[in-house]
Amino acid sequence: MESVGGLLTGFGVILTLDNLFFCFLGSLIGTLVGVLPGVGPLAALALLLPITFTMTPVGGMVMLASIFYGAMYGGSTTSILLNIPGEAASVVTCLDGHQMAKQGRAGAALGIAAIGSFVAGTLGVIVMTFFAPTIATVAIRFGPPENFALMVLGIVCTLFMITGSPVKGALMVALGFLTAAVGIDVVNGRERFTFGSIDLSAGIELLAVVIGLFGVTEVLSNVERVVKSTLVAERIRGLWPTLADWRASWRPMLRGSGLGFVLGLVPGGGPVTASFMSYALEKRLSAHPDGFGKGAIEGVAGPESANNAAVAGSIIPVLSLGIPSNAVTALLLGALVIHGVQPGPLFIAQRPDLFWGIVASMYVGNVLLLLLNLPLVGLWVQFLRIPYRVLFPVVLLLSIVGVYSANKNVFDLWVMLAFGVAGYVLLKLKYDLAPFVIAFVLAPLLEQSLRQSLAMSPDGAMIFVQRPGTALMLVSSALLVALMVRRKPKGKPKGKAKGKPKGKPKGKPKGGSR
Amino acid sequence: MKENTIALALLSALLVTPAAAQTGASKAELVRLKPNDFPTAPIEYTVVYPAGGGMDVTARLLAKYAEKWSDHRIIVNNRTGGAGMVGHAYLATQAKPDGYTVGIIANLMWGDAMLRAQGRWSYTDLEPIGYLNSDALTWVGPTEGPYKDMSVKQLVATAKDKPGTLRVATVPGSMWDYLIEQVEANTGAKVLRVPFQGGGAGINALAGGNVDIAQGFYSEFRGLADAGKVRPIGVAASERLSFLKDTPTMNEALGGNEYQWFVIRFAVVPKGTPEDRKAYLGAAIRAAMKDPELVAEYLKAGVYFDPKLTDPSRMQANLNAYAEAERAFYVKTGRLK
Repeated sequence: MESVGGLLTGFGVILTLDNLFFCFLGSLIGTLVGVLPGVGPLAALALLLPITFTMTPVGGMVMLASIFYGAMYGGSTTSILLNIPGEAASVVTCLDGHQMAKQGRAGAALGIAAIGSFVAGTLGVIVMTFFAPTIATVAIRFGPPENFALMVLGIVCTLFMITGSPVKGALMVALGFLTAAVGIDVVNGRERFTFGSIDLSAGIELLAVVIGLFGVTEVLSNVERVVKSTLVAERIRGLWPTLADWRASWRPMLRGSGLGFVLGLVPGGGPVTASFMSYALEKRLSAHPDGFGKGAIEGVAGPESANNAAVAGSIIPVLSLGIPSNAVTALLLGALVIHGVQPGPLFIAQRPDLFWGIVASMYVGNVLLLLLNLPLVGLWVQFLRIPYRVLFPVVLLLSIVGVYSANKNVFDLWVMLAFGVAGYVLLKLKYDLAPFVIAFVLAPLLEQSLRQSLAMSPDGAMIFVQRPGTALMLVSSALLVALMVRRKPKGKPKGKAKGKPKGKPKGKPKGGSR
Repeated sequence: MKENTIALALLSALLVTPAAAQTGASKAELVRLKPNDFPTAPIEYTVVYPAGGGMDVTARLLAKYAEKWSDHRIIVNNRTGGAGMVGHAYLATQAKPDGYTVGIIANLMWGDAMLRAQGRWSYTDLEPIGYLNSDALTWVGPTEGPYKDMSVKQLVATAKDKPGTLRVATVPGSMWDYLIEQVEANTGAKVLRVPFQGGGAGINALAGGNVDIAQGFYSEFRGLADAGKVRPIGVAASERLSFLKDTPTMNEALGGNEYQWFVIRFAVVPKGTPEDRKAYLGAAIRAAMKDPELVAEYLKAGVYFDPKLTDPSRMQANLNAYAEAERAFYVKTGRLK
C-alpha cells in the first residue's frame, strides 16, 4: 500500500540521531510550555521559529510539531494540580481533574490524561497516515452553513455543562457572547463596542481571559485560605489509575479522539473547542452526570484525548491543502514557507520525505511523550506539597509572562487582571466560569458562519435547509434542546454533594463548584 | 514581452553585477556608514501581524540576511492586536526614535493612518528606509461547476445579468472589499460578498465550492492552483506577474487603469531617528536585499518586486505617490473628507 510505503520512507527520514533528538527536544519543550500556565504553544513556537532556520526543514518541522502536541500533554498538569489551566485547551480539565486531586487522586488524573493524550495522538496520526488526502478533500467542502450548524450543536451541548442554577449558567453564556462581540464586525469590518480604544479593536484576547478567569481567580481565592499551607494536606493515594478508572475512561478516550479529530479539521476549530465539546458530550452520555464537576474521571479522559486528536486533525489541512485552521497551524505553515516549502495538494507527491517524516515523527513523538510524562506524574504530584506562599507568586509571575509574550501588548495584562477579579467575584456569587469561556470561544465562529451563510445565500435562511448536512445537525440540536426541556422539572435537591463513593468526605469550607 | 519586465529587471540587477564585486560594495558601504556609537544593543524588527503570516515571513528572512551582512543582532518581535493597528500606533507614537526600533510593515498602514488613527498619528510619522517586496491581489476562479471556464469579463457579465448570484469572498473593510467595489461601480455588476477573516480562508471556500470567486495572494493559492483545484483569473497590478504570465491583469480584463491593489512591504523607522543611524539601517537592509540568496527565498515565497520601488532613489517618492492614490480612493468613495 502506498501509505505504508510512505510511512516507511518517513521512518527512514526520522530515525536519524538528529531528527530523533529534535523530536525529543520538541516534546520536552512542549511538555514544559504546556505545564507552565499562560505560556502556550503559540508563544513557544513563535519564540523558537528563528532557531529552526539553521536546521533542515524536516528537523525544524518535527520540532515545531512536537512542541504543539507536547503542549497538549503538559497542559493538563496544572489544571489538575492547581486548578489553573496550563493553556486554553486544558481549561475544562480543571473541572474534574482538580476535584480528583483534592480527593488525593491527582496521580490517577495525571496518568489518565497522559494515556488519553497518547491514545488520541496515536489514533489521530494513524488516520492521518491512511486518509490525509481524502479527509482534506472532504473537509474543504465543509462550508459556512455546516460550520454554523456544528457551532449550534456545540452550544446546545454546552448547556448540558451548566451545573447549579440554570439561570446563572445561561447568564454566563450570554455574557460570554457579549464579551466576544467586542472588536471588528465580521461583515462590514467596522469596530463595535470598542469605545474608541485601539486595544479593544481586535477583540479581547482569549489567553488573557482564560488565564485571568482561571489562573488569577484561583490565586485570589486561595489567598483567603492561607491558614492551610498546601493544596492537598492528606495523603496522596495511588499514583496510577485503578481498574475502575480504566473501565470508566476508555470509551470517553475513543469518543474524545474522534470528536477532537473532526473539530481539528474544520476551519476555526481546534484543541480548545474540542476539549469543551468533549466534556459536554461525556456529561451528556454519562450514566451519572451528577458526578461531573466532582471528580469524574471521564471529565478528564474525554477532553484530554480530544485536544490531542484535534492537533492531529488540524495538521492535515495545513500539510495537504496549505490551509491553516488556527493560529498555531498558521505558524507551522509560516515555518514551512520560510524553509521554502509551499504545502498544498501536491505537497505529499512533491516532498514525500517531509510529509512522511512529519507523520512518522508524530508516532515517535507520542511514544516519547508518554514515556516522558508517566514518570513525571510522580514528580508533579510532589508539587502539591509546595506551600502556597511559594507556589502562587510563581504561578502569577508565569501567568503574566505568558500572557504578555503572546502579543507583547501590556493591555492584555490589564485584561487578565480584570477578568481575574471578575472571576473571583463571580465565584463568590456561585456563578460557573466554564460556560462563559466556551461561549466566548464559540461565539465568533457562530456569528461569522451565520452571517457568511446568509451572505452567500441568494435565498436567505433557506440555505440551512437546502444543505443536508446542515439540516441534519440543526434538527439534532433542536431534539437535544427538547430533551433537555422535558427532563428539567426533576429539580435536584442541592446541598449534599454525593460525590463518588470512594472520595473521602472533606471539611473544606468552599467546595469546587467548578 | 511586457509581462516579463519585472522578472527581467530583477534578474539583470542581480546577474549583471558580479557577485564578488557586489559583496565588496555592500560591505564597504556598511562599514563607511556605521556610526561609532551604534548599535550597541540588538536591533528590534517590529512586525505588527502574528508570527507565521506573510509579513512575519518577510521580516524573519530579512532579519536573517541583514544580520549576516551587518554582524549586529536583530530580534523579530510581533506586536499584534487591532488587526495591525496596535503595532502601527506603537511605531508611530510610542517607539523611541533611537534606531533600535525598525518597523517591518506593509502599506496597509496607510489605511490605518487615514481611516482609523483619528488624527493621533499620520503615515508620515513612519519614515521608509527600505523596500522589501510586493504581493498583488488576484482574483481566483473555480475549476468545477458552471463558472469553471469563465474569464473575469464573463464572470462580471454574469453578475450584471443575474445580480446577487455570484458569490465572491472578501475581507471586510480592506482592499479585498475595495476591489469588488471598484468592479461593481465601473461595470454595474452586483455580487454576493461573503466575508472571511483573510484571503486564505476565502481560497479554501472556493476550493470547497462554497464561493465562486476568491481573492488572494499568489502564496495563498499557489498550492491549490498547481493542483488544478483553483485557477488565477485576474491580477490587480499594473503589469502581469512573471510567475503568472498567462493571467491577465484586472485592467486588461475589464479595461481600465485603477484596478491596482497590492501589499507593499517595506521597512520604516519612527520619525526623528538620527540621520546617521537611519542611513546605516537602510544600508544593512539594502545589502541584504542585494543578496541573491534572500532574493531567491523571497521569490520562492511567491512575492514579486515592484520596479518602481526597487530603486532606492525613487522609493520614497513612489511610495508617497501610492499612498496619495489610496487617499484619493478614500476621498472619492466618501470614506475620507
